[in-house]
Order: sequence, then C-alpha cells, then structure tokens
Amino acid sequence: MAQGHETQEFETDFWKDAKNRKSWDEIVPGEPRKTVPYELTLEAIQLYCRSVGDVHPLYFDEEYARASRYGGLIAPPSIHIMLMFACTPTTDFMRSPGTINAGQSWSYNIPARPGDTITMQARALDKFIKKERLFVVHDNVFFNQRDEVICSGRGQTIRPM
Amino acid sequence: MTEFFETLNVADVIDGVPFSVTRETIREFCDGSLDYNPLHLDDNYMEGSFGKTKFGGIIMHGMTNFGLITRMLTDWAYAADGEHRRLETRWKSPVKPGDTITPSGVVKSKQVTDKSQWVVIDIAVKNQRDETVATGEAMVEFPPRVPATT
Repeated sequence: MAQGHETQEFETDFWKDAKNRKSWDEIVPGEPRKTVPYELTLEAIQLYCRSVGDVHPLYFDEEYARASRYGGLIAPPSIHIMLMFACTPTTDFMRSPGTINAGQSWSYNIPARPGDTITMQARALDKFIKKERLFVVHDNVFFNQRDEVICSGRGQTIRPM
Repeated sequence: MTEFFETLNVADVIDGVPFSVTRETIREFCDGSLDYNPLHLDDNYMEGSFGKTKFGGIIMHGMTNFGLITRMLTDWAYAADGEHRRLETRWKSPVKPGDTITPSGVVKSKQVTDKSQWVVIDIAVKNQRDETVATGEAMVEFPPRVPATT
C-alpha cells in the first residue's frame, strides 16, 4: 500500500517466477525482451533521488523548475536506473537473483518528466565467457509517450550460475 | 553562462559529495531503483560464491555509484546551463555497508563542434581507504558560444 497515491504493482520478490527466466544458455542475442510501459510519478522520481541524496530543486521545487530552462519538474538523467526495473516483467532475466552488474554506458537526450508514460525497448545484444564467468551485454532505449528518445544505454551483467 | 566553458582547463577537478553506505541506504536504493536483487538484501544468500567471486555479505548496488556520479555532474553542469550527456562506467570492487564513497571528475578534454561545446571528463569513485571502486568517462554539453554580431 503506497502512501497517498496509486503505484503500479511491482513485485519486489526476485525469486518469484525465477524458474521462468532465461538462463545464460537460453538468452538469444538480438532477441527483443518483453517490456511493460510505466507511468513515471513524481513520487517515484523523488524516492529515487533521495536514495542517492540528490535533492536538486529541478526535481523537488516546482516553482524553481518552472522558471528554469526545463519549464517544469524533471527527473534526473540516472532515473533509467529505476525505469529499467519498472519496465521489466517478472519473468525477465535481468531480475534473476545473483545478477551482477559489471558496468554501463548511457547517453541522455531529453529528460523524463513526472507523468510521462515510459516505454523501453530492450534486448540482449551479445554474450561471452571471460575468466570463467558468463557475461551478457544488453541494450536499452527509453521513450516517452511522444516517442521521443529519453536515453539509451548498454550494460554488461555477469549471469548467476 | 556560455563563458563557463572557456574557463575550463584540462586537469580541472570536479568534487563530488561523500556518501556513507549503510544497510539502510542500500535498502532505500532498493525502493528507489526497484532493484530487489538479493545481492543487496540477503546476507545468507551472499554466503555463496558467485562464479569466481565471494562477497561475504550484502553489497551496494553498482548503480548507486552511477547515481552519485550523475548527481556530481548535474550539480556542476546545471549551474552553467550545461547538460549531462553521457556516462560510461565500470565497477572495480564491491562496496559494503560501513564504506564511504566519494566520486570525483577530472577534465580530460574540450571539444567545440558546429553546434555545441563539449567536455570529456574522467571519473573515479573511491572509498575511505582510497581504493577505486568505480571508474568512468562522462560527456557534458554546454551551449554554443554566441558569435558577436557585427
């Protein structure tokens, strides 16, 4: 039960549906991942911001943000950190317990804003073995409801054995 | 503000804010990022071995580094009408409850293009023992210099 607003259902138990997820062997590079649209709320943005101690007025002070060149409240660029999971169904391999993030690169185009409906295009792009570890390269592109690119990124995870 | 770019020099340092990592901050990041991987929640799960890695207890989300670096870059860029355009990172070693990590940046190069001005920045995140836990490279864009009208 969220405080005072309707949040979209989010399954926080990463063990749920774990059996239905693709293992490293089953991941097909190039194959699109199933994703779900997500309505980005001000509450979700600010919860993320506070978790990294980032309380810039562009994310918190409506008046300040309105007078800025952005013309209103925005999300910080790194909001894709939460959008990645928000747009990921419970059966996605990215939720496998033990998934280790090895590094990422992201390019930012325009900011996400509260009230945006965000969609993600995502796929595994490559997989390889290095130092006896199983790696997957994934890429993601986020769009708003006007099909404008918010940001795009690529990352590497070490898959659980 | 467009003159800010002119004042930058290679090797200029950008200082980030130290961040003290606790079980509570890791838990808050689970809620903030929706990443509830048991790596960050379950000490028992973390007794096991991950490929060739043993962490011995829960670890901070690698993406917390990313969020802290972004915060440093946006604080720096917004003040001069700049925009954070890119960040590439690599995690070097795990961060655990009790650690304090601090991001920093060093101006690596400047580039003027047809329509814009860019700064490339080397990034490092270090812990309280001066060990590098993450490295990266960022790009920040500043508005073009307005040519003097004749």
